[in-house]
Amino acid sequence: MEPIRLLLVDDELYFIEAIAKRLKKRGMEALLATSGAAGLDILEKQPVDVVVSDVKMPGMSGLDLLGRIRERFPKIETILLTGHASPQDGVDGIKAGAFDYLTKPVEIDHLESKIIQAHDKIQREKDKLREAELREAMERQIIANKRLASLGTLAAGIAHEINNPLAIINEAAGWMRQILGKSREGGIERKADIEKALEKIETAVDRARRITHQLLGVVRETPLSLSEIDLSEFIADIIRLVEKETAVKHIRIATNLPDHLKIFWSDPFQLRQVLLNLLTNAVHASEENAVVTVQVQEEGQQILFRISDTGGGIPKEHQEKIFEPFFTTKPPGKGTGLGLFIVRGIVQRLQGNIRLESGIGKGACFSVSIPNRRDG
Amino acid sequence: MIRIPTRVLLVDDETDFVEIMSLRLTDSGEQVLTAHSGKECLDRLTEKLVDVVLLDIKMPGMDGIDTLKEIKKQFPLVEVILLTGHGSTETAVQGMKLGAFDYLLKPADFSDLSTKLEAARLRKDEQEERIRKAEAKLLMRRSGDV
Repeated sequence: MEPIRLLLVDDELYFIEAIAKRLKKRGMEALLATSGAAGLDILEKQPVDVVVSDVKMPGMSGLDLLGRIRERFPKIETILLTGHASPQDGVDGIKAGAFDYLTKPVEIDHLESKIIQAHDKIQREKDKLREAELREAMERQIIANKRLASLGTLAAGIAHEINNPLAIINEAAGWMRQILGKSREGGIERKADIEKALEKIETAVDRARRITHQLLGVVRETPLSLSEIDLSEFIADIIRLVEKETAVKHIRIATNLPDHLKIFWSDPFQLRQVLLNLLTNAVHASEENAVVTVQVQEEGQQILFRISDTGGGIPKEHQEKIFEPFFTTKPPGKGTGLGLFIVRGIVQRLQGNIRLESGIGKGACFSVSIPNRRDG
Repeated sequence: MIRIPTRVLLVDDETDFVEIMSLRLTDSGEQVLTAHSGKECLDRLTEKLVDVVLLDIKMPGMDGIDTLKEIKKQFPLVEVILLTGHGSTETAVQGMKLGAFDYLLKPADFSDLSTKLEAARLRKDEQEERIRKAEAKLLMRRSGDV
């Protein structure tokens, strides 16, 4: 357990010094303050868990101090020490939010156990908060997954419906090309203009086709075909596929592979697609002469692939959307916004998970963890 | 070189697609028949000689796969190329297991289509050639028996 960070406040220094000494023998270190104001000063500067304060002090009283603490440092628990003759102060203190009160003269055992109780309460609150945060994060994840799944189904449906009219446009343009190709010289007016227009139609059809085919590819339930993979060969292959782009920008790809893991089991084609997409993104995000790192680790039955770049990073507001279809920050025609959507779909099919750590100016690191499926 | 036209039967419920595609194929020198449903496709096959059927998978009523099964049952030598606007390559692969020659994703590249048509026709020709030879052999053996 972490040590309890304690602050003792009393206008009589010898009193708190004595208490601090005795608490120290029991393994508790305490900070000391001889007035409410001095106590608040300390709280501003250092983290404290529990404050033990006398009520009766000149200037700021213990109750006043309690009020200020509740206001400024709501996580701190306060234990009040009241004079033997004024138990009402203690009751008022509890009403005002003190953890408890003890009457002077203070029994050291009693004080110690109260401090521990107060600290336990803080721990419980912390755990509760952490649990709530965890649950919220999980719920957010579930909602995001559902959203992506329904978006995917919708997108695939639309893609399919679009392919048919797209095929008609494609054939009609092709038909016109055939006619132009067979026309005699000067037989068709402004032939060059028509050809130019056809070219635009063809490029656009091609672009649309790439999108629809990619989209349909995501939702397609390709059965996994697991096989033995030689890790270093596999990674080298993928790096070779981005060589052209890395050469242009003088980017170096550093690999960090585990010595003991030579062979693993997965679907090589689907996993390659995942890592290739991530690596391509990393290269795109990198400045010239930068280093992109591919790290592989074995974690029990899981294999963890980490691909990190030192590029501009991904702002928080984009991080949640980044796996959605059509989310892209590239100009139209440059990126379809499907790369990470596809990656996520495949990783799910591989029964793995993908995480992103990034911030502006901090580069981006995608971690993909997939099971090493020896079982087949 | 004289190009031998492939007798193509184009089957799709998208009439515009059928119309324009048949114009293109005809213009490229193929002989094109058209149909807009599985049933119509089978009717055409009983009436006319066809080398290759270009068959859309997704059609209302009798779909491409059902039609394919029927074609393979009634006209086993006719080659079939499946067309799919669907991402379901699985269906296309299933189709190939049922005897389809190949498949194309819509919108298809015309030169891809031409290449596949040609290859399908070639396979059919070779098969017919083998049958002819086998028949000739059979005939010779019979006459030798006499």
